[in-house]
Formats: sequence, structure tokens, C-alpha cells
Amino acid sequence: MATFKVLEQNNPRVDAWEKVTGRATYAGDVYLPGMLMCKTLGSARSHARIVSIDTSLAEALPGVRAVITGVDFPEIRFGSGALKDRYIMARDKVYYIGEPVAAVAAEDEITAEEAIGLIDVQYEDLEPVVDPLASLRAGSPSVHPDLENYEGYGFTIEGGNICTLLDADRGDVDQAFRDADHVFEDTFRSQGINQGFLEPMACVAHVEANGRLTIWASTQGPYQVRAQLASVLNMALSNIKVIPMELGGGFGDKLRLAFEAFPALLSMKTGSPVKLINNREEVFTQNGPRHPVTNYIKTGVNQDGTIVAREAYTIFDVGAYLGAGPNSGIGHGLGAYDIPNFRLRSYAAYTNKVYVGSYRASGVADMTFAVESHMDMIAHKLGMDPLDFRLKNAIKEGDIAVNGSRVPRNGLVECLTAIKEQLGLPKELPEGHGVGIALCEWRSGTGPSTAAISVNEDGTVSLLTGSVDISGSDTSLASIAAESLGIAMDQVIVAKRDTDLAPFTGPSGGSRIVYSQGKAVEMAAEDTRNKLLALAADRLGVPSDALACADGSVYVQDNPPQALTLGQLAAMSVTSRSGPIIGNASLSTLPYAPVFSAQAAEVEVDKDTGQVKLTRYVQCQDVGVAINPMAVEGQLEGGAVQGIGRALTEDMQFDPETGAVRNPSFASYLMPLALDLPELETLLVRVPSEDGPFGARAVAEPPGFGPPAAIANAIYDAVGVRIRELPLSGERVLAALRGEGNDIAYIGDELEELKRAEGLSV
Amino acid sequence: MNKQPLTMTVNGHERQILVAPYYSLLDTLRDELQLTGTKKGCDEGDCGACTVILNGKAVTSCLVLAMSARGAEVTTVEGLATPDALHPVQQAFIERGGLQCGYCTPGLIMAAVGLLEENPQPSAEEVKFAIGGNLCRCTGYTKVVEAILLAADRMASLG
Repeated sequence: MATFKVLEQNNPRVDAWEKVTGRATYAGDVYLPGMLMCKTLGSARSHARIVSIDTSLAEALPGVRAVITGVDFPEIRFGSGALKDRYIMARDKVYYIGEPVAAVAAEDEITAEEAIGLIDVQYEDLEPVVDPLASLRAGSPSVHPDLENYEGYGFTIEGGNICTLLDADRGDVDQAFRDADHVFEDTFRSQGINQGFLEPMACVAHVEANGRLTIWASTQGPYQVRAQLASVLNMALSNIKVIPMELGGGFGDKLRLAFEAFPALLSMKTGSPVKLINNREEVFTQNGPRHPVTNYIKTGVNQDGTIVAREAYTIFDVGAYLGAGPNSGIGHGLGAYDIPNFRLRSYAAYTNKVYVGSYRASGVADMTFAVESHMDMIAHKLGMDPLDFRLKNAIKEGDIAVNGSRVPRNGLVECLTAIKEQLGLPKELPEGHGVGIALCEWRSGTGPSTAAISVNEDGTVSLLTGSVDISGSDTSLASIAAESLGIAMDQVIVAKRDTDLAPFTGPSGGSRIVYSQGKAVEMAAEDTRNKLLALAADRLGVPSDALACADGSVYVQDNPPQALTLGQLAAMSVTSRSGPIIGNASLSTLPYAPVFSAQAAEVEVDKDTGQVKLTRYVQCQDVGVAINPMAVEGQLEGGAVQGIGRALTEDMQFDPETGAVRNPSFASYLMPLALDLPELETLLVRVPSEDGPFGARAVAEPPGFGPPAAIANAIYDAVGVRIRELPLSGERVLAALRGEGNDIAYIGDELEELKRAEGLSV
Repeated sequence: MNKQPLTMTVNGHERQILVAPYYSLLDTLRDELQLTGTKKGCDEGDCGACTVILNGKAVTSCLVLAMSARGAEVTTVEGLATPDALHPVQQAFIERGGLQCGYCTPGLIMAAVGLLEENPQPSAEEVKFAIGGNLCRCTGYTKVVEAILLAADRMASLG
């Protein structure tokens, strides 16, 4: 491993002091003079025409300053991607229970709430569609009958509710299945999941005297909020300034426009600042969660354990609007394996439920549960060790990944080996105990990234990027700048930014900040260093290649006392020919850099109750280089615990008749607490990536993928039952132990219908 | 509803304010006293983000009516550090990486301070029990528990 002065050290977070003292300012902490409070009215119906909305009583209530409904907004559809399938507020129809139909601004929150209760909406019910598989069938009611006329529409099956299809193909799959020694097929189902961030959606909007709109936002993507807000308000983008405040968790759900348009329009109508903070029930019922996913997987394998073909059909329920859609799920039908022939399909089906948002590599945890359970089942049927079976088929350097890229060097084998050694696999455990593994893969996120570094006269540097801090990314970026420039961490000031001030950058999501934004910072630091060296060469009268930059100075390598500090150089630069020193960098995409994680669970299953107790959880991830080991471990531990919640207890339940969220609270949606968890064992492998800053890879996404399959596989090892549906609740395990239930709907008919529509033989 | 006078001691200072009778202690701290370090995560007593020390006990301030805190002593996260030094629990959270997004952090810190006042040398299980009402979605709790145990050790050695 290379030696570092800043990286690979457990430096404290740059925002730690503000956060432990309560001084960090989140959007809900913004209080402005004369500020009004906004509340929204959610639809009471899952699918209905709006006949009338009477707001007169609400408007007459003392303290109410303005009431808006959908028709107060320009008649413009928008979407999270190309497909424009929704209005920011319901106009003529509602598509799910909870969909905003009106909003109020009042002098205080209780008055706003009272006013909401005085709004009378008359609906004419339409038949709702709740089950995504039923929504695919011919004759199903249509959620969006005019879909074909929407801007950005690209695919459908006649009469169905499919709004998008992602696909990937290679080789001759059907022939490979015919030639394979064995063919295995299984169907898995994962549940609805809420992101569970602790900070509800919040924002303050204020129209300035000059007509510009300022938004204090809780967002991962300030530039995305600005663009979408400009679109739905039909305003010039340059008339909107988004100030991303401290972010109290987002996990993907705060990548896009949420409800910022409501206080924005109310502020325009009243001239006052307007604040909107969702309550927890609104977070559950209005802010895109993830919906249940049905996964059909078929694998052809030869007697020696070589996988020759894979087919995966995945039905993503996206709710009323495409939202974040299937998102990242598609390529993960292969898992971390080299498979020569494949056919992968991800369908997005509309239903009358809240639309889906993103969540920590949306779709991949669902795919990983299916693929890694299926892999285990095949290994057992072939009589092979599950870890050996994975190693035999693991993708390796030089293979072609599902996206067509060459697989670069990586630490997959090292991760599996580390897990094997840590647990002493294969191992026999006592009666009722079991161990299971899962192999997870992700790519380091890319996308537009920018950075600028200026050098101050006291030798510190100011770092400006457009990216929002999530999970300590500001600390990582400061570390990269410090390491590159040969200065201490505390000599880097990370500027608080907004969309007026900072250069455009992609949103903070998909594990892209350290890899891509970090690369931009590394490049900007290099630009800064070159300028420092050029100025020092001029002032010291030596060629710049005779100089080095370290410990806050530029010095002559053969004569270190001959040196200028960064502060001296910054002061000199002000009157130099080239002017004050500022380094910058800009990039669009970086090459594919995979991230692999091997994970293992040990469980104890109570045969009388079916209860599963997680007794041990081990994960090992290839991080390339640990920018900050403590922060990296924190990411991996937190991610794994989200996955453990997904595996065992978390379950967004929807009413089968109406699609309403039945458990919209933390008391009924059960996220892990400290008492629910064993000590987590976190191992790091460091195989540097080819392009990331100092060899770093993405960190945050993969830890959450493994727990559902690792725990399901451990349950099988413990008591010999296979649970194909999440969560792995005591009820499901007990039913399986009794030989009841446990069989989830096999998607035979739907699969045939989908294949016929594609022109495939069935 | 008309606001009514309320006197209580917050972070060592006596405060006299006017508060609507339906206001929670949480909303009072945030809206009336601008002490926004105490966070609202659910307003239902399920998440612990609003934990403060009320008369020596850690409580979820969203479930306390402000008027019932008349004459009470309240400590919030803003009241822990002195101008010279952080509270040992705050310091330990920084050193052990016990925080990420920071939204649950004030509540976790106050729950820990409440625990250490009652039980200065807790076991790891006792720490987990004491923060058993605090949801954290970022950290996975491991480093939070380590931080609280470190703070306990340091406070014990300081006497």
C-alpha cells in the first residue's frame, strides 16, 4: 500500500463539531421573519377524477394567507427521467392515496392544518390497480390511459400498464439452455421498503424583492431541484437559487424535486417566506419509497458447476408514476458472475400506489436477494460448496461486464477469501444454527463532477464543489485535496455552496462522490499545485521540475531550506503576472470501476416460533484505498444494518384494495435498533481502482445488498427451509417449517405474455 | 389559542416565554427559543431524535407538553459544551465516528448523557438498552456504542 499523510487516517469529520453541538443547520432549522407554514392535503382516493375542489372555507379561516390547487400551476407534466407522466399537484385526476391535491400557507402550522381540513374535494372513483402482476394482464384497468401521448413515452404492451423496459442480451440463451446439463428456475419476491431517513422532507421558499426564488432545501441534488422546479413553475432556471442545507439522510429519495414547488408558489402568491416540513406519515405516504419486486430467474449450468446461461425477468412496481423506476436493477440479474449467454428484462408496471423514489442503488438489493439465493440453491442441488460455486463463476479481470466494459483489476477473490478465513468456512454449526454467504457487486458512480481550489494568504486552501455532503463526503473531498497538496486536513476549508455560487455537478448519489467528485478534486489540486510550482520556480529562479510540494511549502528538492510556504506564494500571486492562484477541474464520466463485497451471516432459528436471531454478521469489501477507514467502516456498518432491516423486519404494507400505505410510522415500520444487532465485523480489501482518486472505489452502496440473501441462505443451512420472499419473518419461517405457505406466486402466465409481446417463442 | 406564560430553566438560564397550550416541549425549544439542535424526526415518540434531559431524565421532548415543564430544568444538546471544551460524550462521538448525517446525533448524545448520569460505567448491553429508543439510519450503531463507552471511561477516570 502506498504511504499517505492524510488518507488511510481516522481524521475527524469536517462537520463533526457543528453536528455534535446541535449547530448544524438543516432545512427545517431555517426560520425567517414573517415566515408562513405550509401544509398539504393528500388525496383520499386511490384512483379518481376530481369533480370539484372548494377551498372557500379554508381561504376564509383567519390566519390563512393563500390556498393553491393543481390548476394554479402551469399545465406542465414532468418526470424523473425522460418520461413526463405527472403533474406536480393533481389537476383533473388523482392516482394514489396521499397524492397532494391542495396546499395552504398560514401564519402557523395549526391554522394551516385546520384549513386543510376545511377543503372539500369531490371525487368520481375509477377502478384502481394495486397488484403489479395483475396490472400486466390484458383487461386490467389502465392507470395512465393516455400514456402513449406523454412526452418521452417509449414502450408499452397493448392495454397493459408497463411504462418502461430495460433490457440486456448476449449470446444465444435458448440454445445454451438446451445444451446445459441442468436448468434451474426460481421466483423471488422482495417487499416495499422505506428509505427511513430521520430528517423528513423540508424546505423554505422565499421570493426575493427582485423576483428571484430562493429555496433552502433538504436535497442530494440541488441542480436537479433547480431544473425541475424551473420546469414545473415555468420559470427561468437562473431565477432560482437552491441552497442545500445539511442533509439528515436521503439515501436516494432526496435526489429529485419533492414538494419544493408548493411553498415556492405560495411564497409567490403571498410575498412571504413559506416553510414546508413533512410529518412522518407524509414521508411514508407521499415520498417515493421502493415497492415490492418480483424476480423470475433461470440458470443453465453444467455438471462441473459452470454457469452457461441466465434469464431474468423482473417486475418492478413503480406506483402511480415512473419516478426513479427500476433504476439500477437491470444489470444485476447476472450478479458478480461471468455468464456467456443472458437475457435480462426489467419491467416497470404502474399501479395506484405512491410512486417510487430511489433508495441506495434501487433495485440491486432486490436482485441480489434473488440471484444470491438462487446461486445457493443451485450449489446445494449440484452438491457443491456455495463459496466454491461462486468462486468458480466469479467475474474476473479481462471479462466483459454486462454493460460491455472490460472488467478491470478488482478484489472480488480477496473479499471471498477473507470471509472464508474470518468464519472458517466451510463449518458445521450446532442444531438450529446456520451460516450463509452472499456476493455483492456495484460500480463506482460517475457523472459530471467539478471542483475549484483557491489558495489563501495564510496557506490554507478553500475547496468549492457543487456536491452536497452525504455520509461524510465533504470530509473525503477535503482529505483528497489535503493529500494532493501536501497540507494537513485542517488547512482545507470546504465552502458551503449553493447553485449560484458553485459550478454545476451531478447529484450526491449512487456512490459517486468519492470516486468521481473526488477525482475532480484530485485534478483541481494537481492544477493548483502546478500553478504553485510555476510561481515558486519564477520566484526561486529554479526550473519547476526541481521543486516539490509538501508540508505546506514548495521547496527545492536538492536544497529543502530553499522554500516558499503556500501562504507566501498565495500572497505573492496576488500581484504576480498570472494572478491569484486557483486550480480547477471538470470531468463528465470515469471508466467502469467495479466494487465487490462478500458478506456472511450466522443465525439461530427457533424451530417453535420461526424467529430468526442474527448472531454474527461479517462483510468484506474492496474499497481500493480507504480515504478514511473510520468513515469507510461507518458506511459499511450502516449499509449492512439497512440490509439487515430489509432482511428481517422492514416491510411497507399496502392495502390490497386501495394501495394505501398501512404502516406509515416508525412504530409499525420496523427499522433495526441497537439492541437488535450483533457486533458487526467489517473487513477491508484494498485493490486500487485504475481511475479513482488515489485508487479509491465507491463504498456506500454494496453493504446493503447482501444481508437478505446471506440470512436466507443461513436459515436454509440452519433448518433446511428456503424462504423466497422478504422479509424473512418468523411467520414465514414457521410456515415453511410446517410445510405450509412459503410458495409465492410463480409468474408463469405473466412471463409468457411478456415474452410473446417481445416476439419470443414460449 | 391564546399563548400562556411559561417559565423554565433551559441550559442553566431561566426563560420566560409565551407558549400556545398545545405546544410540545420540542416545538417550544425550536420555535420559541430557537434551540434547533433538538430535532423532530417523527413527533410520535418513536425515533428519539428529540431527546433532551428533563429534570435529570432523558425524555422524548415531542411527547412532553410544554406547560407540563413549568419550573423544570431542561438541558438540550446546546447546553453540553462549555466555551472551552466539548462534553466528553460529544468529543467521543467525533473521535469514534459515531455520527454521519447528524440528524439523530443530538438525541443519541442526550440519551447517552442521561445514561451516564444514572450509570457512569455501563456495559455495552446497557448502552444499547439506553439508546434502544433512538433510531439511527446511517451508522449501524456500532460506532455510537463505542463512542459512549469511551466517554464513560474518560468521565470515570476524571472522577
